[in-house]
Amino acid sequence: MPTIATVVLVVFSAALAGVVVVRPAVTVSRAGKTLAFGVLFFLPLFSLAVGLQNEMTRSESTAFCLSCHIMEPYGKSLHIDDPSYIPAAHFQNHRVPAEQACYTCHTNYAMFGTIKAKLGGLRHLYVYYLGKPPLPENIKLYQPFSNQVCLHCHLGARSFEEGVVHNADPATLPAIKANKLSCISSGCHEVVHNVGHWGSNVKFWYGKD
Amino acid sequence: MHLGYSIDRRLRISGILVILGLLIEAVCLMWSRPIAFVVLVVFGGALIGIGVLFFLYSLISAVPHHTDPSGASSDKK
Repeated sequence: MPTIATVVLVVFSAALAGVVVVRPAVTVSRAGKTLAFGVLFFLPLFSLAVGLQNEMTRSESTAFCLSCHIMEPYGKSLHIDDPSYIPAAHFQNHRVPAEQACYTCHTNYAMFGTIKAKLGGLRHLYVYYLGKPPLPENIKLYQPFSNQVCLHCHLGARSFEEGVVHNADPATLPAIKANKLSCISSGCHEVVHNVGHWGSNVKFWYGKD
Repeated sequence: MHLGYSIDRRLRISGILVILGLLIEAVCLMWSRPIAFVVLVVFGGALIGIGVLFFLYSLISAVPHHTDPSGASSDKK
């Protein structure tokens, strides 16, 4: 449900609850009792559930992730005009949904991947507001980046399966698929966000209007 | 625990709690920042939850309404 529709639902629920607050005598009749049950039990819980769902969906957006100042350089790295920067190449060429760029690559696609990502987000909030947040260039992943995230899209793709470098050694491809050789290993796709190491000549691409 | 309030007063209290929770939720939905999610859950969700529970408590602990032949309520205040 769009945010504005959810807000309308919430305000409508509050207004109906206001009727019971102002005129509790309406609950004397059977219809009034039904109204009270609806506005003090069903509608608030329904509105809360819809609101939480709305927030969950919004938390997957790129804009949401980049709304913390500490993440701004990472958002900027998506616009670097250099295809060797893996996040930038994926973002600019829409290999990942531009509106959910962070979430797409930083969520494990296993059964509880989304839940783990949400819990990780809460941990970010804790560190950001109550802890001592690191400098952007010092931010590290909690766990090494899993190849499964890349393989979710690239597995079976011709460019991946028949890539020259991937097949130069017969052991390479199985090692990648088994997550024993990281896609972002040194010498492979090692240039990721590289915040703090861009140099002065880096250029940015913000699309064409 | 029995709160010595009339059913009307209990309904008012639960309604106010629910309204406060819903208003916090509305603000959080318009406030597109990560902290909004926490505020929604911790404050909005808690107020709505307490309001709903208080409403349920008011139902199970309510003194039944007695209506006279004219239909007017004689609920004890």
